[in-house]
Amino acid sequence: MTPWLAFAAALLLVGLAPAVVAAGRRGTMDRLAGLALAGTVAPLVLLELSAGYRRTSYLDTALVLAALSLTGSLVFARLVARR
Amino acid sequence: MTTIAEIVLLVAGTMAVALAGLGLLVARTTALRLHFLAPASSLGVPLVVAALAVDEGWGRTAGKVVLIGVLLLGSGAVTVSALGRATAQRSGLVETDSPE
Repeated sequence: MTPWLAFAAALLLVGLAPAVVAAGRRGTMDRLAGLALAGTVAPLVLLELSAGYRRTSYLDTALVLAALSLTGSLVFARLVARR
Repeated sequence: MTTIAEIVLLVAGTMAVALAGLGLLVARTTALRLHFLAPASSLGVPLVVAALAVDEGWGRTAGKVVLIGVLLLGSGAVTVSALGRATAQRSGLVETDSPE
């Protein structure tokens, strides 16, 4: 296992797991906070996986995910604000 | 080959993300939880992207990595701002339709 893959696993454990836990409990805004953290961590994991496996095509997925997570979070924030 | 500089950057970036994850779980109010999102996007992202850029060297791949990093850096601030505003609107601190 290369260091990149090890750090990708570490990011999944310390970043994505708490985000999923936060998104699965408490109130609406706390769930959105979990979604926002997941939207930041997931592209980072893909970046490290692309370096670990030496596949630059994974970067395209990270780029699309980064753009779409911003859009999704903004739309959700707009929708829940109206209630 | 992974250099010492890359390892140091990766460890620092992972720790910043860990701080954000821990804070998201242990903070008691929604506003505090939103504040804990900042280390992931403003510290974690630049450090991990810097490690990747050092590994790749100058080239198209490094440029794409930096582009993703800039996008994540900007989107983190925008997202937290929008979530904070939505939280204030839901709690009645700010009018739902302002500003016009």
